[in-house]
Amino acid sequence: MQSMRRIFWIARITFLEAVRQRLFSFLLLLGAALAGSSVAFRFLNFGQGELKFVADFGFGIMFLFGSLLAVVMMAQLLFAELDNRTAMTLLAKPLGRSEFLLGKFLGVWAVMAVFVLLLCAVLGAVLLSRASELAALAEEAGRTAPVVDGGGLVVFAVLQWLRLGVVSAMTLLVSAGARTFLFSVVAGMLAVLGGQLQWLAQDLLAKDDAGVFQRSLAWFATRAVPNLQQFNIGDALVLDPASVPPGAPSAAILSGFLHLTAFVVIACALFRRREI
Amino acid sequence: MTSAVSIRGLTKDFAVGIRGLKLRAVDDLSIEIPRGQVYGLLGPNGCGKSTTLKIVLGLVKPTSGSTSILGDDAASAEARRRTGFLPEAPYFHRFLSGRELVGYCARLSGVREDDIRASVDRALELASMTAAADRPVGTYSKGMLQRIGLAQAVVHDPELIILDEPTAGVDPVGSAAIGRMISAMRSEGRTVVLCSHLLGQVEQVCDRVAIMDRGRLVLEGSVEEVLARRDRHLLEVRGLTPAAEAAAREALERNGALLGEVSHPRRSLEELFRELVTGSKDA
Repeated sequence: MQSMRRIFWIARITFLEAVRQRLFSFLLLLGAALAGSSVAFRFLNFGQGELKFVADFGFGIMFLFGSLLAVVMMAQLLFAELDNRTAMTLLAKPLGRSEFLLGKFLGVWAVMAVFVLLLCAVLGAVLLSRASELAALAEEAGRTAPVVDGGGLVVFAVLQWLRLGVVSAMTLLVSAGARTFLFSVVAGMLAVLGGQLQWLAQDLLAKDDAGVFQRSLAWFATRAVPNLQQFNIGDALVLDPASVPPGAPSAAILSGFLHLTAFVVIACALFRRREI
Repeated sequence: MTSAVSIRGLTKDFAVGIRGLKLRAVDDLSIEIPRGQVYGLLGPNGCGKSTTLKIVLGLVKPTSGSTSILGDDAASAEARRRTGFLPEAPYFHRFLSGRELVGYCARLSGVREDDIRASVDRALELASMTAAADRPVGTYSKGMLQRIGLAQAVVHDPELIILDEPTAGVDPVGSAAIGRMISAMRSEGRTVVLCSHLLGQVEQVCDRVAIMDRGRLVLEGSVEEVLARRDRHLLEVRGLTPAAEAAAREALERNGALLGEVSHPRRSLEELFRELVTGSKDA
């Protein structure tokens, strides 16, 4: 109980510090502005459905800005404590290193929740507004009106939050052992890129003509690197829930949660050995 | 009764560079710090004081040797629960008020939720920070930062308080105030370990001192013991004329003593400053 209380307080202060940062305000406002104005870019839809383009545009912005925010904020908030020696003051108290690190992670993940929630709210409003306009036009033309599934948007928000949690946890793992902030940010961004390209390893593993070394490497990559592409079912969840394979969201949530937990546990083990 | 801090055969090597060359920061250090005293740990920069403190606080693992706090292993949570620490040049979250900061530290130190308010008020009062407690930490002067640092170090009522350069960057008035706080802690029965470069202050407030150089202990003992020069004496004479001085010299020589030096006693710059600056005498 005492341990939970300490983790809560570290997370709370981390959250309060994070939301005061200019980077958070800047990316949140820019993301919200771009998501809000996504209808204005619909002429770039390359023949896709208009709502699908708006949804993809908004979800892409959310992932891009969210990943940047998760990586920079996680690394920055941890290194600020280490460099300013506030970590020294705190860890000289009966506060476990794992409690400290878990608190930092939860604080950043809470910031991600605010980010996803606000951007999803903006995007949901844009999609619903445009869908109602298109529905009126479709009714006049006697076509089927497009629908926006609110439940799907909620599931999507949860998946995005989890995806950004996985990104934060990967950066936490790197930062727990790294010596510099810059290294953590670069390695964190490379980890995000690796997660986006993880399907390449899956393809390699599925190939029969791959060598033993390649297959071993691919097998390791598919286990160690989370597949961030599996969270890319936003447009289907929101615009065409019937096309989402049953169990896909649950599988993504389970896999994401397992990776997140593993990264945080390994980060705690690494941080325990670190000299402050 | 066990010592407040017991350091036995402590050695710490740091690996330097890619080849992992070893740099010995602390070399076979053994110190026993008795309870209820103010203990000064002195030495030049790079002598291993801070590394020693970090090991005592469980922030760095020793290469060999052992440390204990009030009988518990120094790295244990129980030892840290009974210890308060003020680092050198402390930095705190600027957006928190002094009261919020001390409350936050109290919660991390295991103070019960029901007792937080009273503990925070008591610590703020001890550090003379009650009046500025509701201001954001970002608006504090250096001296106030040190004092709020002191408040967070004592908020959980620790038996041992470790202060690393508590008066660094603080003016003589603030420095004297911190010196009085340290004396107040001693009178409450707490043990204070003080790391400082201000030798004058250490001399004033410490009961015992240890001097380190290149990771080794070079001198340890009570302040009286280490500073007294048993082969010399000091006489304070008023109205000394040249004739009286010559007579005194002759009388001393007749009795086998040698008059070494005749000079005027000096007051310290700190005494002069406190005498001249308004309000300093009471600070």
